[in-house]
Amino acid sequence: MMENTVMLLITVPILFSLLFLVLGKSLYKILAWAFFIFGTVFSVLLVMDGTGRFEITGSNFAMIENVVLILEVLVILFIFFVSAKYKNWPTLGLAVIVAAISAYSYMNVAAIESASFNIDQFSQVMVLIVNIVGTAIILFATGYMDEYEEHRHLNRQKTFYFTMSFFIAAMNGLVMVDTLGWLYLFWELTTLCSFVLISYNMDEEGINNGFRALALNLVGGISFAIAIILLSTKFNISTLSGIGTEAASATVVALPAALLCIAGFAKSAQMPFHSWLLGAMVAPTPVSALLHSSTMVNAGVYIIVKLVPAFAGTSLGTAIAVYGSFTFVMCSALALSQRNAKRVLAYSTIANLGLIIASAGIGTPLAVAAAIMLILFHAISKALLFLCTGEIEHTIGSRDIEDMSGLIKKAPLLTILAALGMVSMLLPPFGVLLTKWVSMQAASQNPIVIVFLILGSALTTVYYAKWLGTIMSSTMDKNVVTHKKPETYFPLSFLGSAIVVTSILVFAIYDYFIRPQVETLLNAAPVISGQAGQFASEIGAFAYAAIFVVLALALLIYVATKNMFTPRKSSYYMCGENNLEMDRLMFRNGLCSYDKSNVSNIYLENTFGESKLTTIGYAISIILIVIALAGGVL
Amino acid sequence: MNVNDVLTAVLVLIGAPIIGCLAAGIDRKLTARLQGRVGPPLLQPYYDVKKLLSKDNMIVNESQNLYVVVYVAFMILSLLMLVFKADILMIIFVYTISSIALIVGGMSTGSPYARIGSSREIMAILSYEPVLILYALAIYLVTGTFKLSAVLDASTPLLMYTPLIFIAMLFVLNIKLKKSPFDYSTSHHAHQELVKGMLTEYSGPGLAGIEIGHFYEYVFLTGLIFVFWTVNPLIGVLISIAAFLLVIVIDNITARVYWQWMLKLSWTLLLAISIVNIAFLYITKPTLV
Amino acid sequence: MSLAKSPWIIHVNCNSCNGCDIEVVACLTPLYDAERFGLLNIGTPKQADIMVVTGSVNYKSVNVLKNIYNQIPDPKVVLAVGACASTGGIFHDCYNVIGGVDQIIPVDAYVPGCCPKPEAIIDGVVAALSILENKKKGNIRGKEVKLKGKEVASNA
Repeated sequence: MMENTVMLLITVPILFSLLFLVLGKSLYKILAWAFFIFGTVFSVLLVMDGTGRFEITGSNFAMIENVVLILEVLVILFIFFVSAKYKNWPTLGLAVIVAAISAYSYMNVAAIESASFNIDQFSQVMVLIVNIVGTAIILFATGYMDEYEEHRHLNRQKTFYFTMSFFIAAMNGLVMVDTLGWLYLFWELTTLCSFVLISYNMDEEGINNGFRALALNLVGGISFAIAIILLSTKFNISTLSGIGTEAASATVVALPAALLCIAGFAKSAQMPFHSWLLGAMVAPTPVSALLHSSTMVNAGVYIIVKLVPAFAGTSLGTAIAVYGSFTFVMCSALALSQRNAKRVLAYSTIANLGLIIASAGIGTPLAVAAAIMLILFHAISKALLFLCTGEIEHTIGSRDIEDMSGLIKKAPLLTILAALGMVSMLLPPFGVLLTKWVSMQAASQNPIVIVFLILGSALTTVYYAKWLGTIMSSTMDKNVVTHKKPETYFPLSFLGSAIVVTSILVFAIYDYFIRPQVETLLNAAPVISGQAGQFASEIGAFAYAAIFVVLALALLIYVATKNMFTPRKSSYYMCGENNLEMDRLMFRNGLCSYDKSNVSNIYLENTFGESKLTTIGYAISIILIVIALAGGVL
Repeated sequence: MNVNDVLTAVLVLIGAPIIGCLAAGIDRKLTARLQGRVGPPLLQPYYDVKKLLSKDNMIVNESQNLYVVVYVAFMILSLLMLVFKADILMIIFVYTISSIALIVGGMSTGSPYARIGSSREIMAILSYEPVLILYALAIYLVTGTFKLSAVLDASTPLLMYTPLIFIAMLFVLNIKLKKSPFDYSTSHHAHQELVKGMLTEYSGPGLAGIEIGHFYEYVFLTGLIFVFWTVNPLIGVLISIAAFLLVIVIDNITARVYWQWMLKLSWTLLLAISIVNIAFLYITKPTLV
Repeated sequence: MSLAKSPWIIHVNCNSCNGCDIEVVACLTPLYDAERFGLLNIGTPKQADIMVVTGSVNYKSVNVLKNIYNQIPDPKVVLAVGACASTGGIFHDCYNVIGGVDQIIPVDAYVPGCCPKPEAIIDGVVAALSILENKKKGNIRGKEVKLKGKEVASNA
């Protein structure tokens, strides 16, 4: 039963991608709805099937193994082809290295007899994220891409949907497969898909950024491939879960574990590799949402969390924790100076992935639980925020935060959804903050990590509060007619309600998925109890139910008292010099003509600007990685 | 939830605004005396709120008073959590909700004055939030738990191990009470260069709600200072009162600074002394018993 | 009695020579200390109860006056401070002057003098307070003043 579901989860998205390729544009909406329903149903089915692992042996295995080999060769050939076509020599060089390593491993590494799939609770969570959030994003794209292409005179939707669906297939494989060789294939496939998607616009900027993503992820891929070779030749390990079990007896796998972590850092766009994620913002918003919330970047942290048994409690683990928390604080600081909404989200994504990595690095049961929960909550909130930004861009024609002031008047529902996404990123009782709370509690033994987390958390509050205030400010009178397409608004509302529901059910989610997972990873469960709407660890308690109750109460009181005091509308205080005919924000100046008042947020570019911090960030993060590697070798 | 708890909660709900109102009255009286004036009656803040409640509800948009309700509700919740000795980290996060609600409320009116005030208040968050969380961390380091009950059960005062954080917290008190030199987002007395800053567009009942929220906030913030010396509640209360009076005196003897100045002060001096204190706690590993 | 104990004023300078303004501000100084009645000089009309107007009204300031009057929530009173605000004063026949404040908005109390002493201004505020109370009791509301009236010259 489980085998069938797993196979369907990989093959049906490929089938969908082929359907997108052959069928006409008019059918895309139906296909996307079907895909969304398929993704939801089958990922839930997989959860219903329970956990376990199964092997593929015999003739089946031989057949699939051949397919895998062919695909690997094709991937490398494709990279050769595009990098030669666009004369991108660094990428070509990296591709040569990848090819050499693959050839080496093909000749020297003993062939495996069987491949295994391992469905544990973490895989289930990831499958849920990928298939529900991911397909919701594709559904959103059907309402988004027509307008996007119209603005840019493009006609590449076939490629777009093909790659997006293929990406989901690759990602499904990545989170379920246990054999490292196959995992590597899926890993490279996601890299490749991300290249195609990022360079979607086919202009110079898009292609350059696509190659940057490709090159940096190839660096990670090389690191991954070396780790596989080391593992199989020296330790005779060929599965991901094998690293964990082996690590329990000996700590010798630290070097390959560190190499795999570096692959994860590259995929999760951590500090020295983070430029690819920023560059990826040139792609259409659904691509950003898919890559940076639910799939691509999660692959990196997925691997790192899976490797927790290999470094929990070791100096390597501490180095990773410091490194992750450093990325968290650095990228939060960088996000503070950004006016471009997508760049803010990009930095926020990197920062949160840093937080996940920091939690994984700490390696206590509590911290690992926080890491897994953060992956889940972050994926939903960030997907919503990216999609909202895309929709806002289509509504007001800009992604500059300053231009978004007055949005609540123009598109109330969209604004409320975006505000929900932001609030869920920075305030309790929502999941992201709850997990931040858990990770802070877990990190409190490590002075450097906790200080970084505290600073980063304050910075996070600031840059989201700024944006939140801007979109909520009612500075406009004019209402813009928005086209409320069901394809765009359904995924947004769906993700919005998912945030609320998952935050309310946080303890059930924890109990069902995360506690058993942490037990399998570390042989110890975090001491967390949940009574009376509390999320209580042994050193603290997070009363999320109380906050929900008070929030509901506040809304009730507001509605009840709204008309108790007769409200009277009036215009702004403008020292009496209002201009009521044209625009409420206009005032009469000394020359009897009218000026518009304009207030912008504070961005602190001189302190937290990219030009000030990026170099320092590169230097320190590279030093930290070297330390992590050194810790792995010694 | 037994009868005692409910009684305490009711007592806090009713008692805190009374204390806060008196504190605000003392603040105005003392300020007047320091300026050589007679000053308003002690109950003036109460009269103000009563008057505001009887005025018209003048608004610029429908949602602006929602934020006031959220602000007051979460202010009360954070105070209740403090009284019931909950998780200090959690309390600070809940307190953040109320701060953000007020900021977004100011921004939501769209008035340029309010937006500048809110922007400055956001910078204030950047200044005090790390110090507040470091304060929570210090409590964890000396007690081994984030729950405040451990501090209250101990027989040594927290202040013994966290003198530097105490100093930093005095600054936080100053920033949060919006007293000079850090009163640039909105100020309680008279008007300033931003008219009323964040609260420019609030009037009547809405402003009354904010004032009531401020009363709770007075009690909450001095409560955070009280935690430094809970062994003998009398000394704790005295320290809190002393801290509060100190803030009023500073309010009267200093002029408003740039917000940049506050940010520099906070991210250099305050963070440095807090981190030194934290480092000291990590190295010596004292336990509060 | 709730209103009389905390009168918050907004000070509007229409076209004043600044003499009355200085006297209004003098009320807040330690010598006169108007705050002992709970009186505050609040910056925004949204939070004010008493509108203290100084100076005669001219074509340029007429809309400002009306705007601010409209932005004060009820109950509210208007206090005209000084000869100019009351009647137009020595400027009453200037080419650009409309006249006293009561030409534009309803005035509840007048403080004569050029310029009035601070004691007189405080006395005027206290007199305005009882009117304020009466307005609250009788639920008398200030009318929304139309911005474009006949008194506005076309070039304003």
